[in-house]
Amino acid sequence: MATTSDLDRQIEMLRRCEYIKESEVKALCSKAREILVEERNVQRVDAPVTICGDIHGQFYDLKELFKVGADVPDTNYLFMGDFVDRGFYSVETFLLLLALKVRYPDRITLIRGNHESRQITQVYGFYDECLRKYGSVNVWRYCTEIFDYLSLSAIIEDRLFCVHGGLSPSINTLDQVRVIDRKQEVPHDGAMCDLMWSDPEDIDGWGLSPRGAGYLFGGDVVAQFNQTNKIDLIARAHQLVMEGYKHMFNDTLVTVWSAPNYCYRCGNVAAILELDEHLNKNYKIFEAAPQEARGVPAKKPAPDYFL
Amino acid sequence: MAVDGVDESELYPIAILIDELKNEDIQLRLNSIRRLSTIAVALGADRTRCELVPFLNDSIDDEDEVLLAMAEELGKFVPHVGGAQHASCLIPPLETLCAIEEASVRERAVASLNSVAGALSAEHLLAHFVPLVKRLATADWFTSRISACALFSVAYPRVPNGTRAELRSSFKALCRDDTPMVRRAASSALGGFAAVLEKELIKPELLPLFVTLSSDEQDSVRLLAIENCVALGKLLSREEAQSAVLPATRSAASDKSWRVRYCVAEQLVVLADALGQQVAHSELVPAFVKLLRDHEPEVRTAAAFQVTGVCERLTGIGEGGSGGGSADGAGAAGLVPVLQQVMPCVTDLCADSSQHVRAAMASVIMGLAPVLGKAHTIEQLLPLVLQLLRDEYPEVRLNVISRLHAVNTVIGVELLSQSLLPAVVQLAEDRQWRVRLAIIDYIPLLAQQLGVKLFDAELATLCTSWLTDCVNTIRQVAISNLKKLIAVFGAEWAQRRLLPVVTSVGPSSTFHQRMTALLTANMIADVLPTDTVSGTLLPLALDLAKDAVANVRFNAAKTLGTLAATLAAGGQAAAVASRIKPALTALSTDADTDVQFYAVQALETINQ
Repeated sequence: MATTSDLDRQIEMLRRCEYIKESEVKALCSKAREILVEERNVQRVDAPVTICGDIHGQFYDLKELFKVGADVPDTNYLFMGDFVDRGFYSVETFLLLLALKVRYPDRITLIRGNHESRQITQVYGFYDECLRKYGSVNVWRYCTEIFDYLSLSAIIEDRLFCVHGGLSPSINTLDQVRVIDRKQEVPHDGAMCDLMWSDPEDIDGWGLSPRGAGYLFGGDVVAQFNQTNKIDLIARAHQLVMEGYKHMFNDTLVTVWSAPNYCYRCGNVAAILELDEHLNKNYKIFEAAPQEARGVPAKKPAPDYFL
Repeated sequence: MAVDGVDESELYPIAILIDELKNEDIQLRLNSIRRLSTIAVALGADRTRCELVPFLNDSIDDEDEVLLAMAEELGKFVPHVGGAQHASCLIPPLETLCAIEEASVRERAVASLNSVAGALSAEHLLAHFVPLVKRLATADWFTSRISACALFSVAYPRVPNGTRAELRSSFKALCRDDTPMVRRAASSALGGFAAVLEKELIKPELLPLFVTLSSDEQDSVRLLAIENCVALGKLLSREEAQSAVLPATRSAASDKSWRVRYCVAEQLVVLADALGQQVAHSELVPAFVKLLRDHEPEVRTAAAFQVTGVCERLTGIGEGGSGGGSADGAGAAGLVPVLQQVMPCVTDLCADSSQHVRAAMASVIMGLAPVLGKAHTIEQLLPLVLQLLRDEYPEVRLNVISRLHAVNTVIGVELLSQSLLPAVVQLAEDRQWRVRLAIIDYIPLLAQQLGVKLFDAELATLCTSWLTDCVNTIRQVAISNLKKLIAVFGAEWAQRRLLPVVTSVGPSSTFHQRMTALLTANMIADVLPTDTVSGTLLPLALDLAKDAVANVRFNAAKTLGTLAATLAAGGQAAAVASRIKPALTALSTDADTDVQFYAVQALETINQ
């Protein structure tokens, strides 16, 4: 019971955008590892569940998301990766989601995005943020170790397939996803890389991705994949859509984007996809949190040398 | 891992810190600088003075971030160097920091110098600090001269007359410096310097400087003159202030640079206070009207924010604690310029082409109701309020709604229901959920004013429809709103009007509806009669405890815990034992761990 109340206290702190102690991060990550290691590459999720796309460290917009969609545990959530980088609060964002995962493992599912990687986070901000906020790279190390344990995808009631990026030419069936050894840094190519990097595009078959990783895939690829695996819809994130969500290929694929006013300047709205227990779809649009709801980043005293 | 590691090897960490002062990694140097006090305490006063301070003085070619931290730390160093008699040794490093290019470093160094000066004896002040001020004021590089400006007022009162004259002429030179940035700094410091100057010297010595600065060729210098108007207005007698300050105010209000006019607009209320009511009438009203009609939206926005404050001062309402009687002489006389000159501007600003101007107007317009009194509010203000409530820009609507209660008290309930209610009902379905939120916050107040009949006819349906809003926050607030309404209208009303809606969750209901029903039951149980709780809410919760969705089941468990407490308090312990406990016991072995958790938690509270 002591651990539950500890966790509840940490969640309260993180909800206020205060970061928890380095030792607490370490303990949290080791508990998260125990839970995540048990999860499948294609994690099974029950409806009702609310599907969310990229967050990118926009902590106050994540709070806005929870205001619109209700808090954990009252609503079940599936976050499709890219929790960190670019925004000002990657540390608080990822730790809050991770703490919720540890406290309510059955209520929230986190899958891996292309930014949950050692290489990418060193370029796009999460590494620097950890260093600045904790004075050492330990927290970054703990978090990136956890990234390796995050599931690659999820399947909701055997009907909806959820993945960060998209499909891969080396994957035809979900069973081929299930046999990937995922506990590693995101590779530069291959099935695991493609799931996190690919994008849908109005083409036939497969194309080269301008991102330099993953592929472009067309409607025929999606139709074939959905038929083979007996699913209705692929939900994915990974690409900014100004309207928050976008259907493609006769509603066989949807992009969900959950970072409003992306990078604090794109002017887009964000969306979450609510699925009720009968898999009825309900998209909820939301805007960036208003200025008065955004706190000033808390100043942490210099790390203690005497410990 | 204990924090008490210090006593074991006391000097080792200090050695590390000193070492890190020279480290190549800026982060480490920064951390070490922030621990300077610790190092100083460990070294003792003598070594701090003879070794650490000179070392710091030698290392001022570092990154700005490190220098900023150093400037701050040195301000707290007086006790570490051996107290006031040795404090002057801190002047050299701070003097160097006063010349740094980065403004924030200089400002911090100046602040630290001022606190060091406060600690110096009068003798040391004269021997060490005054020469420093003179050196900085005549330095070649302008950054030092900027820093000098803010150091006069701390030294001046504590030095003999001869030195004072020198300081005055030195300050005068800075006010006429060739570099605009220095003149800016001098202008900023003028008010503070005036406050410590001998009263009789302000007029002959400082006023000419003030006049020169307020007609400076640079608008960035001129705009600082407004704050000096306020500062001088407070120091001088009313007549002197008016003759000296008014011309500057007048010309600033029609300055060719909008930034200067913006500053005047922002400071109008403070200016009115500094100059007195009479002048406010004769001089500031025309200037104010001009600013309200300025062709720059920024200026109009700043002026709009001042409308209520200025009008309060014109009529004498809300100024201090006189209770705000609007019928006294000053009020009646003051109302004339408000009605004739300000109100036409207000009308125009409510339809301004800039949304920011309208939003500013929306946030202050309610404050005019007590100023205008009932008749004028109905005739002039109400149409404007209604117009702003229909504004296309959500922030404008929101600003009005969140301050509506100010009108209530002035115009009364009947008029309110006739004119405002349609607008409120329309906004209750606004696309922006924060607008809906503001309306809900306002509902209990409206309920009190309207009474049950009118409320049932106009608003009750709205209140229950918010329970199915697509935004969770609105649903939650709608639930607590119901509780507030029950406090106004009573339990009988709740049974008749609310419960049928709340508890009607059939098999075709959505997951959200069932959750909301449970959360509502949880919220309102303690304000309903025990019979209603056991007869209506309990069956609902027991039914939903068998729901297919886990989230519903664990909320049923939570609600059952609340209902148990209410029933036990109402003397129905038997129902708790026979109906609630078995249900919770069943839930405590549920397949879902969260359901188990909340069922066990509820059982524990019941058994206590």
